[in-house]
Order: sequence, then C-alpha cells, then structure tokens
Amino acid sequence: MSVRLMRLLGIIALAGVASATLAGAPALTFVSCPVYRDTNNGRKSGCWLATDESSGIRYDITQGRTKPQLGHEVLVEGRAEVKNTILKGSPCGGIPLAPVVVSVLSSLCPSFMLPAEGYPGRRFVLDPKLVLQPAEVPEALPPPPYAPRTWSIEFTFQSDFLQYQYSEVILDEVGRYIRASHPREVAVVGYAVTRPRIISEHVLAETPELARDRAEMVALALRRLGATESMVHVSWHENPAPLPDPQGLPEVSRRRVDIRLAY
Amino acid sequence: MCHRLRFVPLSLTLIAHAALCTGAAAESQAPITPYWWSANSGRVFQGRSSYRDATGTLTVIHVGGDVDTRGQPFFTALGRNGRACVTCHQPADGMSISVATIQARWRATAGKDPLFAAVDGSNCPSLPQAEASSHSLLLQRGLFRIARPWPPRAPDGAAVTPQFRIEVLHDPSGCNLDPTYGLRSTHPMVSVFRRPRPVGNLKYVTNYGYIFEPKNGLPLPIDPRTGLRYSGNLMADQRDRTLEEQARDALATHLQRPEPLSAVQMQQIIDFESRIYVAQSNDHVGGSLSDGGAEGGPDALAAAKPAVLNGPGQPQWGEFAAWDRTGNTESSSEAERAFRASVARGVKLFRDRTFLITDSAGLNSMNFGNPTRDSCKFCHNMTRTGMDVAPGQVDLGTTNEPFADPAADLPLFKLTCDPRYPPQPFLGRVVYTHDPGFALTTGKCADIGKITIQDMRGLAARPPYFSNGSARTLRDIIDYYDRRYDIGLSEQDKQDLTNLLSVL
Repeated sequence: MSVRLMRLLGIIALAGVASATLAGAPALTFVSCPVYRDTNNGRKSGCWLATDESSGIRYDITQGRTKPQLGHEVLVEGRAEVKNTILKGSPCGGIPLAPVVVSVLSSLCPSFMLPAEGYPGRRFVLDPKLVLQPAEVPEALPPPPYAPRTWSIEFTFQSDFLQYQYSEVILDEVGRYIRASHPREVAVVGYAVTRPRIISEHVLAETPELARDRAEMVALALRRLGATESMVHVSWHENPAPLPDPQGLPEVSRRRVDIRLAY
Repeated sequence: MCHRLRFVPLSLTLIAHAALCTGAAAESQAPITPYWWSANSGRVFQGRSSYRDATGTLTVIHVGGDVDTRGQPFFTALGRNGRACVTCHQPADGMSISVATIQARWRATAGKDPLFAAVDGSNCPSLPQAEASSHSLLLQRGLFRIARPWPPRAPDGAAVTPQFRIEVLHDPSGCNLDPTYGLRSTHPMVSVFRRPRPVGNLKYVTNYGYIFEPKNGLPLPIDPRTGLRYSGNLMADQRDRTLEEQARDALATHLQRPEPLSAVQMQQIIDFESRIYVAQSNDHVGGSLSDGGAEGGPDALAAAKPAVLNGPGQPQWGEFAAWDRTGNTESSSEAERAFRASVARGVKLFRDRTFLITDSAGLNSMNFGNPTRDSCKFCHNMTRTGMDVAPGQVDLGTTNEPFADPAADLPLFKLTCDPRYPPQPFLGRVVYTHDPGFALTTGKCADIGKITIQDMRGLAARPPYFSNGSARTLRDIIDYYDRRYDIGLSEQDKQDLTNLLSVL
C-alpha cells in the first residue's frame, strides 16, 4: 500500500470522528504496546505509535514529554490533534495526540520497530519556555508584592520521576519565589490515584506510598533550591480531585504534587 | 632503542636523544627515563612542557608558570608506599598514565617502583608482589584496584542500603574472594579495576552548566562547606564530589596515608591541579593544531568558559571547524591538507551522524525514550572536553554483559536486584558486570554499570581507554561504539573519527 494511500485512509478514518472532535476532542485513554518508527529528520526525530485496540486506530504519541521504552506497554492519555492533522497530514503514520501523556508501564510486550516508510517524522524543536538559563546567568528574582501561590507538578503513572524539560521549569520558578519572598510555609502535598481503573482490560492503580514518594521528591528539590527545613511541610493523600483545567487532561492532573507558599 | 623519545619533553629532545640513543648499554645505565616523574624528585614543573606521543605532541601547561616541586605535596611521597600524586598522573601521559609507561617502569625497576604498590598496583595485596603476573591488570590494561566498601557508603560516609545482592562469579585477580580483602572479609570490599582519570582541565570537571540534573530531575546537591553545587562529574563512580574529597580519598587509599593532610597542603594540591591544562598540540601529519584557524592545544582550554552546552553558537569541536575551510587551503602539504580535512569530517560525523541509541541507562531511561535517535554529541555535549554538562553517569555497556568486550582477566559479578526496587532499566533484575560503577556509590539497581563520562582531551597520550582499559587504541573506541550502537560507520568514517580523537 502506498504511503499516500495510507495517509489518505488515515485522514478519512479521522474524518469519521472529526465532526465530534473538532470542537474539542474527547480524552482518550488506552494501554498499548508502542511501536517505534525510525524516521530520520535529525536528532530526536523518531516517531512513536500506539494503537487503541478498542477502536483499531493507530495514534501518534510522539508529542508526549515522556517517550516510550520499546518492550514495555504504555498508558496513553491524550486528545486527538484533529485540526492540524487534516491541515498538515500525519508525519508519523498515525493520528497525532496533543496534548498527550505517556506512562511507561512495567508490563512487557513485544518490541516492534518500523522503518520510516516515507514518513518524515518531526524535526526536533525545543520550546524556549522549557529551557532554563545556564547556571552562570545571574538569576532574576520575582519582585514583590508576594501573595500566596500554588504550583502543581504532574507525574506519569506510578512514577515519582521529575520529568526533564517540564518539572525543573516549575521548580526553578518556585525556587526563585522562595528565595525572593521567604515564605512562612512551603506546603508540599503529594497525591496518588490508588482507586483502580480498568483501561484496555488492564487494572491500573497507583500504590499508596507513591503519594508520599512524590511529595518527598519535590520537597528534596525545594530544599536544594533554598527552602529551609522549618519552611517545608510535607503531606500526602490519595485520590484527589482533578485540577480545574479544561484544556488539559483531568485524570493526569490527579497524579500530582501541589506546592503552596503561605506568608 | 630510541623509542623512549616519544615521551621526552621536546625542550630536552636534543640532549636526551644524545643520551639515550647511544645503545643498549646507555639504556640499562639510565633506568629512570627523563620523562618519568618520581616522587620527591625536586625538579621544576615547567609552566609549559610538550611530549611526543603516538600521533604527535601533547602539551601540558600550568597557568602561573613554573612550579618548584620541592615540598609541593602533589609531587611528594606523603604516605607509606613512596608514591606521590604525580606517580600515577604523569605529565607525559596527559596527567594519567599509559600502559606503555607502566610497562617501561616495570622493566626499569624490576617492579620495585612505588607505582606497583601492593595496595592497588597489584591485582591483590595478598599476591606475591615480585611476580609480574600479580600485577597483570596494571601491566596489561593500566588498571588500578579500587576497593569499594560493601555495603556501599555515600560520599559523606553515610551507610547505604543496597538494592541488590552481589556475588563473585569468577575473579582471576583473586581479590574479591580473598579472606582479607574480599567480599566476605572482616571489612567487606568489592574490588574493581579502573584507569586513572587525568588530573587536568579540571574546571571543566568541577563546574556545572545547569543547576538541575536531568537524569533524576533534582537540583544538584549543595556542598555545605562552600555553598556551591557538586558538579557530579568527578570520578568514574562519583564516590568523591570535590577535589578535596578526591585528594583525601586518594591519599588514604592510593598513597596509604591515614593521617589527614594539613589545610595548607590540601590547598596546595587543589591549587596546582586546578591550574593544569592538557591537550594535544601537534600532529605528526596534520601539523600544528592551532594553525589554519584551529584552536587545538591547551591554551584555548585554559581561556575558555567551562561547562558550556554545545549548540548553535557553540558547536561541538568548533575548535577544528576552520579546517573545513581556510585551514585546508593554507596547509603546507597534501598529506597535511588531507589529514585536516579528515578531522573536519570527523567533527561533522561526531555532531551530525545520528544513530539509534538503545538500552543505555542514564540516557534512554530519561524521558527521551528507548530507542532515541541522536549523535555522539548527545552525551558528549560539553564544549571543549566532550564531557556531559549534566552529571555524566551513563551505562554504555563497556563493563556489563552483554555489550562489554570479553574480559576473562577481570572479575565478573552477578548482581541480583531486590524485587522491592526498580530493576536496571535495560538489563533487568540479574546483571552480570565487571564493574557495577555508580551503583557502588548509590546502591541503586538503576545505576548498575553507569560510569561517568570523562574528559576527551589529551587522549593520544594515555591509552588504553574506557574505565576498564578495554579499548587499547583510539580506533578501538570507534569500533566499540560502531558495534554497540550498530552505527554503520564506513572505513573512512572510522578513520575520520579516529583522527578527530587524536587531535583533542
């Protein structure tokens, strides 16, 4: 089957759901075995694909912050990027999800790698907002007045790993705020979603201790950024409500740590 | 034989040539070769000295000029085995020590040089020290024994609960099974065998480019004594975090000095080390490495900012970019032009030739995914030295099965990870390794086999390479990577990359 025909079929398939999704694509959640497509459009240009077995649709999950690990199943949570796909086609051979959060699961599955097959992939472009200044650059502290503020850091499923080119941007901002304003309290609250969900016939639930692990990981980071022991108060809870963010992925936002500065 | 002239300081070449090339009798009468620095020699360490090596000339500079080494602790036998720091950090060998030099010292001193001290210059202190076979790992691979406490201890001395069990599957050195020095001794130790890292260009080792460590997402920890952050790039396994910690550790182990050094002496060592810059400065074929617009040699290293991440304004190995243009037209010979063009191609390959990086803990275990397509500069991302701007603990497979080259002469350990903890991300819960690397510091399964990326300057003067000496030549390094990551380099590609490594 030619690449053009495959692309056309993909777009036609997409068009079938387009009317329902253009106005605001519904959140998709599924577990899949990821496939790597070895597109070569420069560094970090490879594609990651995952098929939702409930619909048979293959999605392009490359735009997630965390990329899959071949041989491990992934939990995919995202929304179809319908408008851009219709306008620009599919660079990887699947319907692009954006936003999308990919969690690498411990469960194993076969490793599959495809050649580029004519797909260009995406040229790697780093969002300038996700790049911190080098250490040698004098830091700019936020000016007063300082009011109570809350930040949230999200995590992938069953992980306390502070994701590169995401978490440190938030932590850096919080750290500068702390060093500038010397808050009375830095409350760090960790959450885990321990109530089981059945997704693609997988029962997924985070472990209760993960809420604490996440909170302590963030607290450690904040101490290294200038928060004193007396400022930091760590707590943890299970099964929180999602953040009120209609553009984001509500279920993902439940796996988070909140940082609240009080004066 | 005149082969020793490879290491003679060029300023002494004519004199030394006359002294050394008068035949075998002269050689036997002069067991101490001119390039060799013994402890307590009282010589002057020149502010600039150059040494012939396999591909050209290495230059070592000391910012601040000549140093009278009388009483300078770096050059003084401070412990009980007659060694000084300089014993294993020889200027002619890029402030490390090559196998050729080690073998020459064995021949010259019948194995009596303090270099071969039983504590770590032999396969195990319990072996008969007069026999060369007891020093085989040093003589054949340039490896010193590094005895790590078991269970592990953090750099601050805190006890670490390991996430894995360690067994010795076989150990030709005998040391890990030794009743006094082994894993089941009164003071259990894991003996691994490693190359000494160069003492030079240290501002690139101790500085950091960014305050966050992307491999774990945390800000770099802060040294409470100085308020500065640890770079995380010191030592193969990050067991020491500062030059002072390293010096204290080396004095206690390699020099066998249990007493602490005075603060003044400690500062003298650190000051000296911090002023040393090492790089190749001339190539047999390519000529001066600072001609034709190139910026090779140690002076540019001394002048440049450390811990700079390569990028559009600071391309990796931009020092040799001009050889792609004007440097080639100004060359004096066809051979020189061809060599410089080869180096320039090597630079482009290093930067731009992408391949699939797979199953490498510390790289693929971040959110880049496994595999991820990138080039050599993905990991070797610090300008000027090719180190990692972030703490560079990465498992390239050089010490672990299945990727490590066969090494029947090294100990082989079986590490079994506790099911309560995450396994080594790509090697699983049972790992066979010659050197657990960073995991001997952290106790974490995820860190098994990670070895800190090191400075790539002055390579030609200090073979063999990789932490366990498994690459005997620069070409062997390229061949290893080509096999490990199935890069598909052509013969010309390999030669170009080898030539690049030879001029660093």
